[in-house]
Amino acid sequence: MSTTTSPARAVPTTTGYVELHGALAFVEIVGSGPTVLLLHTAGQSGVQWRRTTPDLVAAGYRVVVPDLPGHGRSEPHPDGPVDDLGTYAAWLLDLLDLLAVERFSVVGCSIGGKLTLDLACRASDRIDAAVAMAGVAQRPGLSEAGQRRELEDSASPSRADRTYLGTLASVGSALPEAEARLVATMHRREDPVVSTSDLVAWSRHDVTDRLDRLTCPLHLVAGREDYWVDTRLVEATAAAVPHARLTLLDGVGHYPMEEIPRFGETAARWLDDLTRQ
Amino acid sequence: MNDRSYTGGPPAGEWHLEDFRVGQRWTTVEREVTAADVADFARLSGDTHPLHVDEEYAASTRFGVPIAHGPLGVAVTMGLLHELHLVDTTIVALLGTTWRYLAPIRPGDRVHAELLITGVRRTREGSTGVVDRDLRLVGSDGTVVQEGQLPCLVRARGAGPDPAERAFGTTAWGELLARSLADDRAFASATATWDGAIGLHCGEQGVQLRIYRGTVLEVARRTPSGPTFALHASPRAWTELALGPTNDLIQRSGRGEFTMSGNAYEYLRLTKAVHLLVDAARALAGKDAA
Repeated sequence: MSTTTSPARAVPTTTGYVELHGALAFVEIVGSGPTVLLLHTAGQSGVQWRRTTPDLVAAGYRVVVPDLPGHGRSEPHPDGPVDDLGTYAAWLLDLLDLLAVERFSVVGCSIGGKLTLDLACRASDRIDAAVAMAGVAQRPGLSEAGQRRELEDSASPSRADRTYLGTLASVGSALPEAEARLVATMHRREDPVVSTSDLVAWSRHDVTDRLDRLTCPLHLVAGREDYWVDTRLVEATAAAVPHARLTLLDGVGHYPMEEIPRFGETAARWLDDLTRQ
Repeated sequence: MNDRSYTGGPPAGEWHLEDFRVGQRWTTVEREVTAADVADFARLSGDTHPLHVDEEYAASTRFGVPIAHGPLGVAVTMGLLHELHLVDTTIVALLGTTWRYLAPIRPGDRVHAELLITGVRRTREGSTGVVDRDLRLVGSDGTVVQEGQLPCLVRARGAGPDPAERAFGTTAWGELLARSLADDRAFASATATWDGAIGLHCGEQGVQLRIYRGTVLEVARRTPSGPTFALHASPRAWTELALGPTNDLIQRSGRGEFTMSGNAYEYLRLTKAVHLLVDAARALAGKDAA
């Protein structure tokens, strides 16, 4: 039987696994239209965007939601837990190449927000619109040494309780308690080593000296009740990118896509506004 | 008038020790701090530093214009407090002034004071008691320009006993808390493999809960081996944690309002137990509705 279609290296157009950097990566791909890449937070997975995707698809986007290496359904990175956001950024650009995506928009939160800024510095000419949520260009206040210490089990008792209660502390007051507990319960699915490595990466990554290369449309978003991100740093990042838009959300914490009802409609509006700039 | 006056409270000026509850709040009227006030204060105090009286000199400082003396803000706060007419006939003495100057007051600024009661405790002698008054002096744009504590001694109506549900860090409060925790199966489960003592400090008050295998064995100011770890916070932080809408210990810890000392590993290990303990303290505080 001759094989005339579906060679092994065909461009994936549907949800599934792709081989990338020596491991299988899980990527959800839904809809048709301009591509928008959605980037999850530290230790979490694409499941954080499950309620965002349908509205973005309805708004005419092709939504690409990868699980970063070691997260969700993606295999671990062959070199071990990633502690450099630059590694993720390069991985994401290679993933888009593999998917034959030339131009794209990107929405990310927390480390995904910082990755969005990094991609916008690295590949501005390929990006139609970038929405960086809870992400700042500078190093945040988090101590890298403290996170490295946390990587040792002996310093990490009660991790599940701390992730659960810490997530409850990180969402805004507008989110009903039952939904906040759902978010916290799902965040507890993390691999603590991967999450903490992500936070090491978050604490040491600084793109301030590359912001002059950021020429694509950019929207910076942060919740006013975000316990992790100092809104003054977000404002400083906005000030360093003169064409950037800035939105501070009342009643919202660190996870706008898991806190704001019908967030996909909001995201689609932001992306549309940016591409019309 | 203040916007959170207590209906059914005692007549103006006649608030006694028993009328005060931790968590009560008042907002005073607003007043302007004028250039004449600053000039008068310079004359009265003898502090005629050019920062307060010389426009040309003040222009060379970080403030740009002459600013009010810090203690003028304390004096203004005292006056605004008087306007509330709480303890006119019952006050015995002002006991102290602990104060921080956070932002300048410029002539023409309008300020008001916000009063929070953070402690009520009878003196040993019995006929008087200390009311801890935590104050913020706030500008018309909402900026807290000064803050501090002005505890005072007031007369008591009776001889007690007094409620302890909000007497954070005292032994009496610790005993009530231990009684609540005795019925708390989640707390017993969270501490079922533990042997140690937790210190709970509110300002200068401190108490330890000695815990063994899920049971609080003893409540005491001191235990033989000392606390395994201790939580420390100001009376304002305890008051807001105990009476606020949610248990936001993590946020308050992140802001440095709550700190810990002692064995950090055991503190982290007991994350859930400490949260349940704070839940119990919040439920307890809620039982003392004035």
